[in-house]
Amino acid sequence: MSSYDFLPRFKARYDANSQEFAISGVVRPQAIDELGPSIALLRDAIDRVRGVLYVNVRRLTQMNNAAFHAFSRIIIDACRARPDLKFVVITSSVVGWTSRKFGRLSGIEPNITVEEYDSAFYPGQGFLEEGGFVPILRTQTKMTWRHERAILPRHGMRPGIVMADICCGIGDFAVLVQKEFQPSRIVALDHSISSLDYARRVMREFDIRGIEYTYGDASEMLLDEAQFDLVTCRHSLQIFNRPELILKELYRICKPGGRVYITNEKNSHCLGEPRAESIRWTYNEVAKLFGHFEMDVELGPKSRRYLVEAGFEDIRVETFMVTNLDGDPQDFADVVAAWADVYAGEMATRRGDGPEFVARFRQGFQDHIFAALHPKGYAGWPIWVASGRRPQ
Amino acid sequence: MIQIDMEMKAFVSAWKHCDYISTYMARMISQTRSDSVRHSNLFSSAFNELLEVAFRTRHADGELACKVSRHGATDRIELTFTCVPEERQFYGEAVAQAAGSGARERYLNSVSGDIAPSREVVLLELAVDYGATLRVEEVDGDAIKLVVDLPLEGLQN
Repeated sequence: MSSYDFLPRFKARYDANSQEFAISGVVRPQAIDELGPSIALLRDAIDRVRGVLYVNVRRLTQMNNAAFHAFSRIIIDACRARPDLKFVVITSSVVGWTSRKFGRLSGIEPNITVEEYDSAFYPGQGFLEEGGFVPILRTQTKMTWRHERAILPRHGMRPGIVMADICCGIGDFAVLVQKEFQPSRIVALDHSISSLDYARRVMREFDIRGIEYTYGDASEMLLDEAQFDLVTCRHSLQIFNRPELILKELYRICKPGGRVYITNEKNSHCLGEPRAESIRWTYNEVAKLFGHFEMDVELGPKSRRYLVEAGFEDIRVETFMVTNLDGDPQDFADVVAAWADVYAGEMATRRGDGPEFVARFRQGFQDHIFAALHPKGYAGWPIWVASGRRPQ
Repeated sequence: MIQIDMEMKAFVSAWKHCDYISTYMARMISQTRSDSVRHSNLFSSAFNELLEVAFRTRHADGELACKVSRHGATDRIELTFTCVPEERQFYGEAVAQAAGSGARERYLNSVSGDIAPSREVVLLELAVDYGATLRVEEVDGDAIKLVVDLPLEGLQN
C-alpha cells in the first residue's frame, strides 16, 4: 500500500457558532458513497441553520465533478425547499478553479452567492501587502542580509538544497540566496500579486533562474508536503494574527530532518542614542499600534516557544542587531523614514489617533533618524532568528 | 512533451490512477510557467476529469496513452483510450456541443437538474470553466483520441 492510501484526503466540518460548513483537501471520489459522512454533515447543517449557511471551500485543493455535483445538488435542493435560507460560498483567490466552478451556482439559484475570500483572513495585513511597504522591505533586506548571509548556514542553508521562501514579498531575499548559496530550487510564495509581479520582472530583467514565484496563502498552501530541505519565513509570522497556522504549514512542507527558519522583531527594543527616551517611547507605541491590528511585532523572543509548540526539535535561536554602522547610515535612516510614513501615517489614522499623539509618535522616528545620522550616534534594530528541525 | 502509456486493464484497476497521473503530469508540464504551483493545480483539476471519463468506460482491453505538450500559453492533452464505435459517436457529439454556443446553458442545466454528471457534462465543463477547446481525432482500432487545448496561463488571475 502506498503513502497515498494513508493520507487524509479531505476533511469536512461544521461550526454551529458561525453557521459554517467547511470542506478542505482533495475530494476525488469514484462514487458518491465515499462522501456519505460529509454529505450527511451538510444536510444536518442545512436542517439546523437559520438565515445564512456559509459554505467554506477556500481550502479545497481539488474536487472532481462527481463530488461537486453531489454537494451542489444538496445546496440547490435546499434553496428550492427553503426560500428563507441563503448560502454564501467562500472560495479562495489562490485556487483558480474554485471561484469559476462554484461561481456558476449563483447563476442557478439567486439565494446562492459566491465570495472570493482571502485578505480579510489577516486583519491589518493590507497595510503591508500592497504598495507602500515595498520600499521598506527592499532596504530592510539589504541591511539584514549582511548578517543573515553568515547566519543562514548555521540553520541549514547549503548549496544544492531545495528550499521554499514563504511570504517572500518582492523576492529580494530569494535572489540573494540564489546568488550566494546556489540552492537547486527555490519556491517563493507570497500573497501580494503586486510584489510577485515585481519579483518576476526582476527575475526576467536580470536573467535569474531557479526561482519559482507563486501566489498563495501561507496558512494553506498548494505546495506538497515534505518536499523542502529548508523553509524560510522572514518577518512574517509577526504580521499574522494566528502565526501558529502558518507554522503548521511550514512544518508540513518541510522534509523530515529539514529545517524551518524564521526571523521576527521585538519592535519595542529598537534603540538609539542620543534621544533614547523619545525613541524608546515611540517603539513601545509601535508595538501597541500593531497589536491593535492583531499583529505581534514583539514576537521575536517568542519564536522558541512557537517552534516547540509546532513540533520542531533541535531549536536554535540567535539575535543580531542591524545598526547605522552597517554600511551606509542613510540606509538605516531611509528604513526608519519609511516606517514613520506607514505607522504614523495610514495605520495611526486608521486607528483614530489624534494629532497630538501622531506628532509625538512621529518625533520618535525622527529622533531615531537623527541618532542614525549623527556622527557620534548609534541606532539599532534587533532581529531574532530561530530555526527548528522537523523530526525524522 | 510528456507521455504516459499503460494498459487499460492496469489503468482501470484502481481509481487513484486518475489522481496519480493528473497530479504527476500537472507538476511536470507546469515547470517554468509564470506560477507553476497554481498552474499545476488548475491543470490537474482539468486533466483529472478527462482521465475519469476514460476510467469510467471500464474497458479492460487496449491501451491508454496520455500525451501532454506545451504550445505557447496553451497546454495540449491528447488522451487515447479504448472506445467502441457507439461511444465514438457519443464523443463526437459531446465535443461538438462543448464548442457550441449553448455549452454554458447545457452545463448549468446539468448542475441544476442532474443527480450525477454525465461524461458529456464533464467535457462541457472543460469548455465552460477552463476555456478548453476540444476535438476528436481518429485512431486505428477500437480507440479514440480526445485532444484538449487548455489556455490555463491566462486563467490564473
